[in-house]
Amino acid sequence: MLDRVISRDDLHALIDGLALQRRLIGPVVRKAPECRPPWRYFYQPVDRAEQLDLSFSYCVYSPKPFLFPPQETLFQFERVDGGFTARPQLADRPTALVGVHPCDLNAIQLLDHVFSAAPADRHYRARRDNTFIVGVDCARPCTDGVFCADLDSHEAHGGFDVMLYPLDGDAESAGTTPGRYGVVFGSRAGGEWVRYGRRGEVPTAADERTFDRYQRQKRTAFPHALKTPADELPQLLERSYDSLLWEATARRCYSCGSCNLVCPTCYCFDIKDQTTLGGDGGQRRRQWDGCQLRGFAQVAGGHNFRSRPAARLRHRIYRKAKWIRERTGLRGCVGCARCDRACTARINTVEIYNQLTEEV
Amino acid sequence: MKPKVAIFSLTGCEGCSLAILELEDRLLDILDAVEVVNFREGMTERTWDIDIGFVDGAVSTPQDETEVRHIREHCTTLVAIGACACLGGLNTLKNHQPEEDYRRYVYGDRAEWFPTITARPISSVVKVDYELPGCPMIKEEFLRFVTHALAGRTFTLPDHAVCVECKKRGNLCLYEKGEICLGPMTRAGCDAICPTYGSKCEACRGILNEDVLKAAGINLREQYNVELDDVLADLQLFGAYQAKALP
Ligand code: SF4
Ligand code: SF4
Ligand code: SF4
Ligand code: SF4
Repeated sequence: MLDRVISRDDLHALIDGLALQRRLIGPVVRKAPECRPPWRYFYQPVDRAEQLDLSFSYCVYSPKPFLFPPQETLFQFERVDGGFTARPQLADRPTALVGVHPCDLNAIQLLDHVFSAAPADRHYRARRDNTFIVGVDCARPCTDGVFCADLDSHEAHGGFDVMLYPLDGDAESAGTTPGRYGVVFGSRAGGEWVRYGRRGEVPTAADERTFDRYQRQKRTAFPHALKTPADELPQLLERSYDSLLWEATARRCYSCGSCNLVCPTCYCFDIKDQTTLGGDGGQRRRQWDGCQLRGFAQVAGGHNFRSRPAARLRHRIYRKAKWIRERTGLRGCVGCARCDRACTARINTVEIYNQLTEEV
Repeated sequence: MKPKVAIFSLTGCEGCSLAILELEDRLLDILDAVEVVNFREGMTERTWDIDIGFVDGAVSTPQDETEVRHIREHCTTLVAIGACACLGGLNTLKNHQPEEDYRRYVYGDRAEWFPTITARPISSVVKVDYELPGCPMIKEEFLRFVTHALAGRTFTLPDHAVCVECKKRGNLCLYEKGEICLGPMTRAGCDAICPTYGSKCEACRGILNEDVLKAAGINLREQYNVELDDVLADLQLFGAYQAKALP
């Protein structure tokens, strides 16, 4: 069921209105010299809706850095007469993320869950509470190699204020700009944005039929890649702990952590203090960490719980397809295949799952 | 008592010790906290009672070898700074050429006047306590080292690849342009400056460990259609890897 339908021009007018109050971030194409064809998309700050390309394929990085930045200062501290004072640093700049695909919305739902569980992470929450999210649906897979449909994360299940469905874009031909979007409200703020903006119309019965047709087409447009259904992956992994695959695959692994760092659901971080030269003040900083990095599971005294690359690779895969799902009921992996694209050793998660399926 | 600090240069461009002078605003804070007792680039007075000695440049001549032994004797803590001191640096390029050729090329008809030896990192001659690699040395890392030393905290280099910093900066990976970047094998700490400006990493901060070289050998042979000699040349540029083939 749609809440509204809206023309492209009206949508742009609404987004421009949003940009008056918020920092606007969305998919922007980057061409030469940074990229060679096919051109790549990145989430980046813009001034106007016109600069965004809402029919983008995929963004190289997910919008995660705008909610959970690669590094941030948690608080500043200073020595004052024998004791010390600390000032927390919270980023509460109003932001609008416009053009978030379903995979990344599913990932944001996981981040929300993890950082909101008691004790809530104030730094994440400050950013999240000030972020307005406009999702946009994918009519077809954004590129080869994605397996979002296997995980049902090619559909949005929440995490947005407003969701857009490209209604008269041609599902068969990539890159066409839809003239009309179906709109679904995900929050009160989302509904108010469209209604108070006085844009868009109440959907007619014909609009609902178009939307039905869109969804039917979408179901056939997404191939499945996994030989084991996603909800049976935990059992598959349970049986595969001692598989030879881990060593055989990890002999290629650099432990570079790229797969972690591009993953929209990876939320691990490390905390370090930076002190001034005289040692009388400084900052407590946190930065992204990743379970594929060698130092990740190293503890005081030097012992490393996962000193072998194979143990780290297995750990990441278990997190993505088993442990997070078992623990939270949410997807630990959304099938965006960013890890696979980022891996310079060409280690491929779909291949891992499918080879394990063949083994047992 | 302020720690007594000295800065020495062996064979190299002395860019790393100059980088210390380039710390500008932070330099005054450092000079407040330490006493510089020996620094050719910045002073004429010298003494040989040294707590922390920083050395840039490679051991590339017999004099370098004598000098670095002498320096070691007089420094409680010895710190190698820059790719030349830590890896041998660009100087090691001569190790892969016939001696006659590079001597003629560098010194012309006065070649016999200048004795030269295989270029090597200073750690191959004396014990080195810390290394601050990079070409040039990373100023922020130098500051971090000094801050740790003053506070008596243990200093360690990042134990992960350049890719980590590259991804944090949101760069498009150069492999997507078909280039073989050495980032996955190279120690981070430079904030991925080369890939950020579009050039592949050439491992000026050194290789992380044996494992990544093994992985590189497998990947480049099995997954990529590249001339291994080209990759090897990149690995050799700063002396990060000197062998004739990948493991
Ligand atoms: S990106 Fe590939 S090589 Fe790097 S840690 Fe992940 S699996 Fe290993
Ligand atoms: S594990 Fe890979 S496919 Fe899954 S969400 Fe992370 S980056 Fe995407
Ligand atoms: S460009 Fe180089 S350093 Fe950056 S992610 Fe790719 S391989 Fe790693
Ligand atoms: S990217 Fe590589 S070559 Fe460039 S400064 Fe860093 S370590 Fe050196």
